Amino acid sequence: MSHLDAPTAPRREDRLGACIEFGGGVGEIREPFCQGCLKNRRRLFSQGTICQLLPAIAILTSLKDTVVVVHGAVGCGGAAHALGANVRLGQWRSGDKNPRGALWISTNLSERDVTTGGEERLREAIVEADRRHRPEAIVILSACVPGIIGDDIEGVARDLKNRVGAALLPVHCEGFKTKIMATAYDAIFHSFLRNLIDGRDESEFPVWDDEGARAREAIRRKRLVNLMNVSSMTGPDLAELRRLLGKLGLEANVIPCDVDPEAFRRAPLASLSVGVCPTHDDYFMSRLLEKFGVPYVCSRMPIGIENTGVWLRAVAGKTGTDHLVEGVVKAEEAELELALAPLRPKLLGKKVMLSAGEVRTLATANMCAELGLEVLAVRPYHYDQFGEPEVERLGKVAPGARLNVATAQPFEAVNILRRVEPDLYIGHNSDNVWAAKCGPAVLPIYGSNFVYSGYAGVFEVARRAVMHLANSSFNQNLAKNVRQPYRRDWYAQDPFKYIKDGGRAA
Amino acid sequence: MKNSFVERPRSFCALGGALLAASALPGVVPVIHAAMGCGGSIYWNQYGSTGYLGAGYCGGLAVPSSNIQESDIVFGGLDRLEEQLKSTVEIMEGELYVVLTGCTPDIIGDDIDSLVRDFASRGVPVVGAQTGGFRGDGRAGYDIVMTALVETFVARRSAKVKNKVNLLGLAPGQDAFFRGSLLQLRSLLEALGLTVNSFFTVKDTLENVRQSGDAELNVVVSEFFGQAAADAYERTHGVPSLRLPPPVGPAATEAFLRAVSERLDMPGRVTEGLLAEEKRRYYAYVERVADAVNDLDWQRNAVVVGDANYAPALTAFLADDLGWLPRLTVVTTPLEEDGEARVQAFINRSRAGELTKVVYETDPSEVARHFWNIAPRRHDGLHRQSFSPAFVLGSHLERQFAADIGADHLTVTAPVGNRVVMSRGYAGFEGGLTLMEDILTVLAFQR
Repeated sequence: MSHLDAPTAPRREDRLGACIEFGGGVGEIREPFCQGCLKNRRRLFSQGTICQLLPAIAILTSLKDTVVVVHGAVGCGGAAHALGANVRLGQWRSGDKNPRGALWISTNLSERDVTTGGEERLREAIVEADRRHRPEAIVILSACVPGIIGDDIEGVARDLKNRVGAALLPVHCEGFKTKIMATAYDAIFHSFLRNLIDGRDESEFPVWDDEGARAREAIRRKRLVNLMNVSSMTGPDLAELRRLLGKLGLEANVIPCDVDPEAFRRAPLASLSVGVCPTHDDYFMSRLLEKFGVPYVCSRMPIGIENTGVWLRAVAGKTGTDHLVEGVVKAEEAELELALAPLRPKLLGKKVMLSAGEVRTLATANMCAELGLEVLAVRPYHYDQFGEPEVERLGKVAPGARLNVATAQPFEAVNILRRVEPDLYIGHNSDNVWAAKCGPAVLPIYGSNFVYSGYAGVFEVARRAVMHLANSSFNQNLAKNVRQPYRRDWYAQDPFKYIKDGGRAA
Repeated sequence: MKNSFVERPRSFCALGGALLAASALPGVVPVIHAAMGCGGSIYWNQYGSTGYLGAGYCGGLAVPSSNIQESDIVFGGLDRLEEQLKSTVEIMEGELYVVLTGCTPDIIGDDIDSLVRDFASRGVPVVGAQTGGFRGDGRAGYDIVMTALVETFVARRSAKVKNKVNLLGLAPGQDAFFRGSLLQLRSLLEALGLTVNSFFTVKDTLENVRQSGDAELNVVVSEFFGQAAADAYERTHGVPSLRLPPPVGPAATEAFLRAVSERLDMPGRVTEGLLAEEKRRYYAYVERVADAVNDLDWQRNAVVVGDANYAPALTAFLADDLGWLPRLTVVTTPLEEDGEARVQAFINRSRAGELTKVVYETDPSEVARHFWNIAPRRHDGLHRQSFSPAFVLGSHLERQFAADIGADHLTVTAPVGNRVVMSRGYAGFEGGLTLMEDILTVLAFQR
């Protein structure tokens, strides 16, 4: 039976044994993870963090011509006020000089709805969203409350299917259902594969009755690959990956972020799907293979010198461009090294700590090692099989590094920071400030308008790390003048003391 | 006003409003009993809507949270909360711990009150409040948590202290300028000779909040925020309240100071002396921008979009102090009928009463529809009745609308995502100067 037969995607805890609680050496995670010992851990102390609803909002509100209906209490979509800045930037970049930003509607469930059910409100919101905006798609994104009171969002979507013009896409993202926020990616792709991607092929319509056009389209499709972008990738990131694929003569159909829903409908027509992050893309690409026969490559995240080469070679291996790829990699690496030469001495031996999403953090840690930095600690937000290859690499170049699996949890981060005292901290948006208050230079690990991917990303990260290391007085002053909310003796204790084996006390 | 779905809600949920208030109090460690994403979700909302009001001492992703899972929802979440509270007190340094619930424990009926009382009886300084997101928006959350503080944290005092007041009604984060505005009002009241507890400014301490039960009066600078907290002061501590609209600029601030001093029987000469001094100072600055205002024709037709607290106050400032023509005031807070009547009554006391049309609308994309109702496109040949020159004073969500009608735009009301707000405020005489400076800078910026 396919996963797609069920209305919801499985949790990552169940599908992959993914976990969010570990502290130890970089070489110490393999054994307990393989024995399945990590997925039943918990923290006796925890801090509020990111649930699967939030990355879902980031991806879904970026879709063009789409309205996201967040079915829940009035606060559940609020993250879009911050995430909307990227959405707006994406719209601006695609030529809209008066961009509207993220467009979402909250069903604003009230005390009464909790008792009587919220389906009626959801219906109203969907019908009105369709009338006002005439979108291509309406996403119905379910938060915690409907999951507890038992609203049937699939049923509402079925009922309204013929009453609205938009494609209706129910996505289940109840925050209490999973500890692994990356489950959001599966939840989105699951719905899109079931409800949007139908495998129709315009070239079979009569309007295509032109042999020449058919032939040109057939050639174009051979060169067309699905390029998976993640919501933490910037416009310049995407430009760099398109540039590299272009060197192999390939054209990209980009999904899922910042694109029209039509881009998903085109996905089955591509000759290959190219992942940029196995944690993000694996579920979609393997299901697309299963349903439509599109092969895929899902090797490394193209962050760092070695990884970008591995990524390009994997793509070449599946597109008949092996004869091109070695030349491309060699030329790119040579050009990069020239540019890095003046920066390398300034980075050599500087101590670094990193914290963010699983694969990105680990890949960036390995890139830091390539740049000559000393990796002291790395904190992936969760851990599963997709982190293994990067952890294995890291174990070789930084065998003494500490590994802390935690979705944010700054109390563990500051404890480690006080011990390892890095010169540079590379971390996730909204998590960085707690490191900053300890005084190191801070470089955000993604976002804004900078490039992090491919060869351009290696240079850009090196260049900006040098900038931050050249003057970190802002954070040094901060450390001297503000206090952290932890008791002084916390710093003397084991940072992982609150991680325990066994499920919740019931 | 409809009470159904809301497009791009401009506020928070009840938990969000309560969390922002709790984490804005000096030395407070909030503890949320909720699903794992509530803390992050509220923080990201805060990130995009409060003029970059960051996490502070113990906000953002540092907020302790029970992060309850499906099994807790099945079996009840109190055991997990107890474990979390115990470990929180071990590790986090708080002068006060404030436990706030999210939707999930409120629906399954976790009885946090008895747990909180249990910890309090063991000497832990802790209060709790049920703030499940479905209980209302951020306004409701501010009121719920302030009420809990007033009822259980503020010490009972038998005698009142003459000329001591509490300042309520500006909710942290939901008004991006709350710190500057509270401080400005505090300074004015102090200049009248009052002792002021304003909760959230750099001059406040948690001890002053604890000792606030002996105040002579609560000054609530809102027709819509803080009333429940003021009622709790009256009920629990016998402190009466005076409810006034938020004073922006000289006209409204003069009325505000007269009302407070009259209520407290302050000597008239002190009040008059303060007003004269503040006005002298205000006009000393206005005098020197008057050249540009008159030479460059900086009068505008205006659309104001904001919550029930701010939109009327800004509208009145534009009409009474700046001499502009507010034509449409979009109030984005869902109100009952008597609330709408209060807004209209306030507007009618200002010159704006004969200029602006007040509408009630939560949804950003509907603002344009209301606009075209009051300013229909007309083709009058050579001489066209147009809305130009136009200015939109609203949130960052009104940027697209402003560009569509060819208006300049300044973000003042929530969400504030395209400005950084640190110490500036818009209340009082000083706030009026700051607001004028910000508005005119938008016009001067194009030169």
